[in-house]
Amino acid sequence: MRDLGRRKLRTTLTILGITIGIWALVVFGSMANKINALVEGGSTYYEGKVSVSDASGSAGGFAVAPMSLSVADEILAIDGVAVVMPDVTMLMDAEGASMSMSLPPMIAGSLAGADEGRETFPLNYAQGRALTPDDEGSSVTVLGADLARQYAVGVGDTFTIRGVEFQVVGVLEPTLTAPDQTAMVPLQAAQELFVASLPPMIRESIDPATIATTLTVYPADGVDPEVVADRIEARVAGVTTMTGKDFDEQIGSATEIFNAILIGIALISLVVGGLSVVNTMAMSIAERTREIGIKRAIGGSRRRIVRELVTEAGLIGFIGGAIGLALGALVVVLANEAGRPSGNVLFELTTGTAVTAVLFSTILGAIAGFLPAIHAARLDPVAALRYE
Amino acid sequence: MTDVTVTATATTQTTATTRGSTTTGDRTMPLLEGRNLRKTYRLGRTNTVNALRGVDVAIEAGEMVAIIGPSGSGKSTLMHLLGLLHGPDLNHGPRPELSFAGQPMVDLGEGERTRIRAREMGFVFQDFNLVPTLTALENVGLACDYAGVRGEPARQAALAALALVGLEERAGHRPAELSGGEQQRVALARSLVNRPRLILADEPTGNLDSERSAEILALLRRSNLAEGQTIVLVTHDAEVAAACDRVIRMRDGRIQPAASPVPAAETLVAGDRLLATA
Repeated sequence: MRDLGRRKLRTTLTILGITIGIWALVVFGSMANKINALVEGGSTYYEGKVSVSDASGSAGGFAVAPMSLSVADEILAIDGVAVVMPDVTMLMDAEGASMSMSLPPMIAGSLAGADEGRETFPLNYAQGRALTPDDEGSSVTVLGADLARQYAVGVGDTFTIRGVEFQVVGVLEPTLTAPDQTAMVPLQAAQELFVASLPPMIRESIDPATIATTLTVYPADGVDPEVVADRIEARVAGVTTMTGKDFDEQIGSATEIFNAILIGIALISLVVGGLSVVNTMAMSIAERTREIGIKRAIGGSRRRIVRELVTEAGLIGFIGGAIGLALGALVVVLANEAGRPSGNVLFELTTGTAVTAVLFSTILGAIAGFLPAIHAARLDPVAALRYE
Repeated sequence: MTDVTVTATATTQTTATTRGSTTTGDRTMPLLEGRNLRKTYRLGRTNTVNALRGVDVAIEAGEMVAIIGPSGSGKSTLMHLLGLLHGPDLNHGPRPELSFAGQPMVDLGEGERTRIRAREMGFVFQDFNLVPTLTALENVGLACDYAGVRGEPARQAALAALALVGLEERAGHRPAELSGGEQQRVALARSLVNRPRLILADEPTGNLDSERSAEILALLRRSNLAEGQTIVLVTHDAEVAAACDRVIRMRDGRIQPAASPVPAAETLVAGDRLLATA
């Protein structure tokens, strides 16, 4: 092992080659993780329920056109429907979100407890409490982790949404998906905010208490959400439904392609890094042919020579991987901090990615050293001794 | 190298006779014995070189033997066979035999031969062949390691071997920081550290001036006398050969019949001159 330190330049260059490959793997892998977490969160959210929205307009599963609450009664009458919960969701920024890689900040209003305990998406509270039915009529909010952090507000502070001041009563733990960017408010408050955003002519003709943007339909126990969705589309005019399966088909396939591109880029950098390791190891071992001849002549076994060289190559891989991981983690943290104010938190470095990256580079290094090591150990010691 | 002193020849001759009488007394088997040793090397696709054309050789335990001969005479090849670095050719002639300490060597696998090299033999080369990235102590310690001795015992043995060649103060230096004579002494310490039965030295003084050569030879002789180690050395140098108990002269891949136990120094030197001008 001491050999490594005494061959500084070449060792440094080899390590640098691996570092770059692993760095790319960590950065792109973290980006893919983040996207996967978003998609998975969505997938989990839509699982086991049917989201019904007005057929005239919906974007990415979030309805933008209001529908009458009378539709809820129609749906509730359908066989297999257990609960219908009205929601009002809208973009926090009334002018519409700027182009963004991640989810835009949202306002979500719903009647606390209206799901009758059927909601399965887990929400944990970092501070304060959840909204309760008693909050209806008051201006209180529970903020997602990213929002709270971005605006540096906590329980007891006031948070202004579309010009209206809300009292923060709770802050969520990070979920890595939509709720992180969401301000949850009572249904009534959301309905009022929604109506206030409409053009004045329409505004006057609508009673805020009668509208929703989405109806979340929980099927009765043992009923397939797909079946319920089909029945709703057949019986109720002017609505569109979205199930977990629809979400996976629409969003999932798009992110799969994106992930494939990211992983592809990371793999290319890794192959380039890997080839440079193979090349450097082969060169390094060729240059040491004579030394290997000496060791063989004075009684070093083939196995011993191979073990020495492979261990050395693996160690080079490990060091390169560890440095690559450190640099990658630095980029991820800096980029996330830089992007947080604009809501562009693009990276999620998981333990799995970190361990995989270092393990991969260690194994890659060892494999890269293996063939040249076998070759060197099989050389005729006398010929190797004469090698210049 | 042209000046051959007659006194050296005379003194070694007496040593040879005294040692000869002690070894023949117990009538043991030779330490090394080879029969029908042949070796052909391929050079390129069609060229072959008959480096050894059938050699019978016996080396008694405790002997210090020089193998001499012009370049290409097969002396290094013979040493590689005796040192188990190469195996003899098995085809095109009577079956070769090679025994070391009474054990047959010809059919041994590479792993077993490596083990014997590590534990029973010591090697010294013309160009020292130390591992450049290791210190003197680590170079010597490497031989211990290969012989299965590790940790503190290995360190102590390596230090003792370095002390034997007068280099314990240079233990922490790397080969590049040592002179040629010092490097060869480290190599000698490495060959001695496991107290092997046999030391094989290929032109050990070839890269050294006469003073350093004398040092190395004196050290070899000392360990030969003190430990009873058998020493086989290949050399061009008549003076070095003259310092040995016995000389095996080779030419064209064969051993020349021994006219006398000590070579005629003049013919040797003349032979070298001929080679140099050729």
